[in-house]
Amino acid sequence: MRGQGFGFIAPLLVLMFVAFNAPIVYMLGLAFWEKGRGFTLQHYEGLLDAPVYLRVLGNTMRVALVATLANVVIGYPLALWMRGLSNRGRMIALSLVVLPFWVSILVRTYAWIVVLGNGGLVNRALQWSGLTDAPVSFLYNELGVTIGMANVLLPFLVLPLFAAMIRIDDRLLQAAASLGAPPRTIFWKVFFPLTLPALAAGTLLVFILCLGFYVTPAILGGGRVPMISNLLDTLINQIPRWETAAAISTILLIVTLLIFAAYRRLDRKASA
Amino acid sequence: MKRRTFVGAAAAGLPAFSILGAGSARAQVKEIRMIEAGGKSGESVEVGYIEPFTKKTGIKVIRESPNPLGKLRALVESGQTSTVLMELGSGGMLQARNLKLIEPIDWAAVAPQPMFPEAKHEYGFGYQYFSTIMAWRAGAKAPKTWADFFNTKDFPGKRCLPDYPNYAISFALLATGITPDKLFPLDVDTAFKKLTEIKKDIAVWWKAGAQAPQLMKDNEVQYAICWSGRVVGDPAFGVNFAGGMADLSYFTIVKNSKAEDRAAAYKLMHEMSIAANQAKAATVVSYTGPSPELDALLPKDKLAEYPTSKQNKAVQWVENAEWWAANGEAVNKKWEAFKLSL
Repeated sequence: MRGQGFGFIAPLLVLMFVAFNAPIVYMLGLAFWEKGRGFTLQHYEGLLDAPVYLRVLGNTMRVALVATLANVVIGYPLALWMRGLSNRGRMIALSLVVLPFWVSILVRTYAWIVVLGNGGLVNRALQWSGLTDAPVSFLYNELGVTIGMANVLLPFLVLPLFAAMIRIDDRLLQAAASLGAPPRTIFWKVFFPLTLPALAAGTLLVFILCLGFYVTPAILGGGRVPMISNLLDTLINQIPRWETAAAISTILLIVTLLIFAAYRRLDRKASA
Repeated sequence: MKRRTFVGAAAAGLPAFSILGAGSARAQVKEIRMIEAGGKSGESVEVGYIEPFTKKTGIKVIRESPNPLGKLRALVESGQTSTVLMELGSGGMLQARNLKLIEPIDWAAVAPQPMFPEAKHEYGFGYQYFSTIMAWRAGAKAPKTWADFFNTKDFPGKRCLPDYPNYAISFALLATGITPDKLFPLDVDTAFKKLTEIKKDIAVWWKAGAQAPQLMKDNEVQYAICWSGRVVGDPAFGVNFAGGMADLSYFTIVKNSKAEDRAAAYKLMHEMSIAANQAKAATVVSYTGPSPELDALLPKDKLAEYPTSKQNKAVQWVENAEWWAANGEAVNKKWEAFKLSL
C-alpha cells in the first residue's frame, strides 16, 4: 500500500523541483563552472585572497547570534507568562504576539525610527525627564539591528514555545511539589527540560532566519552593520558578479546545514 | 524539445499561416518593453517621451522597474528577447558593455536633434542628467565647499552619505583639496583616510534615494549627500551644486532584442532628443534632458534647480564611468572592509 498517494503529490514534487531545487542547484553550480573552461575553484580562491567577504559572513553570524539570544531572553518568559493566563487572557496575549505578522515588515521596521530615533518617543521622554542631555543612539548601530530583528522574529520563537508549554501536564508539576521540591527546582528539573526541544527548535529557526535578514539591517543599521544578504544584493544586482555571490551562498548554506546537523545530534541525544 | 517539435510541425503544416504571421509582425510592432528606474523618473519618461511617441506611431510602451544590472544579466543569459530598452547609469552601462549585455546604438536611425556630446554615447542615449550634491536641513550652517561639508567641527551635525563608493570616495577626495580636474585616477586610500576621520559623525549610509531627505526632515541627520531631484525646490532643505557630480542615465539596447523592436526604440529615442519634450519631462522631475537649447524652454524661476542649467553645469564635474568600470570591483572589496571597520 506504500507509495499509493504518490500520484497525488507528484505534481507538487515536480513544482518544488522545477521552481525551487533546480534553481538552487544551478546557482550553486555557477560557483564551480566557468563558461568555456569547465570546472573551476577560482571563485573560492578569490574569496580566500580577499577575506573581507568572509568577514562579512562572520559578522552576520555574530549579529544573528546576539539577536537570537535577545529573542530567547524576551521570548521564553513571555511564553511562560502566557501559559499562566486564563483562557481569555491567553487568546488576547496570543493575538497581540501574532498581530505584527499582519503588518508589513517594512512598516514595522520604520516604526522603530519613530520610537527610538534621535527625535523619537523614547529619546524625547528621556530628555524631558532630565535623564539624558543628548539623544541616545539606539539606532544605526548593532543595537538598533538587534532590537529590530528581535521584534520581527519574536513570534517565531514564542508560538512553538507556547504550544509546547501548554501541553505540559500540570499534574507533573503538582507531583514534584507534593514530593517537597521548591518552585525553583520544579522549574529547572521538570518544567524547563520538557520545553527544551521546542526552545531549541525555535531558537534554531530564529537563528537561521536571522542569517538571511535584509530589510531590517539595511534600515535600522544605517548601512553600518554589514550583513551577508546586503553584500549578496550588491554582488548580484550591482556588480553583477553572480559567481562570487554563488560561492558565498554555498558557504552560507554549508554553515547553516552544519548548525542544523549539530542541532539534530543534540536533539537525538536529549530524547534518547 | 517537445515544444520545438510542436512548433516545427505547426510550421510545416501551415506554412502559409506562419509566413503571414511573421510578415504582419514585422510590418507593425504594437508594443515595446523597457526597464527603467521607476518612481517620478519613470513618470517623466511617460509624460515627456512615451506620450508623444505613442501619439505619432501608435506603438505602446510598457514600463517595468526597477532596473538593477543583475536583471539585465538575467534577461540576456536566459535568452529573452521581449525587452528592448534598458535604463542604466553611466557606470552600469559600461559594465554592461564589458559583459556584452547591450549592443551599440544605430545613431543614424535615431537621427537626434542637437545634444551634449557625453550624452551621445556609442552604447547609450544619455536621456537624463542628475546631480549628486550636498544638502542640509534648513537652519543648519550652510557649507560652501566639500571641505566645509567634511568639517564636522565648524559645521556640527550628523551626516548621511551614500552607501555607494563612487560617490563617497570622490567627494571625500574633493574635501582634501584635490580639484575636480585632477580627481581621476582616484586616490582611494586617501579617500578612506578622510572618511575614517569623520566616520563617527556619519550616522547613516543610505542605499535608497528617499532615505537621506527623510532623515533630514526627521532631524536624524543635518547634512547629507543627495540626488538633486530629491531635495531641490523644497524649503525644508538648503542645497549647493558647487563641486557636485553631474551624471547621466542612459537608455541602452538590450542584446538579442528584435530588429523591429529596435527600430521603434530608435524612434522613441528621437522623441527624447527633442527639447520641447525634455521640458515637459522636467515638469515631473527636476532632472533634465541632453539638449543644449533646453534652458530657454524651462521656467526661469526654476533654473537654479536643474542639473544642466548654465549656472549649475559650470560648477559641477562629470562622473568618470570608465574609471569605475575598470576599478569598481576592486574598490568594492575595500569598501566592504571599510564598512566592517565602522
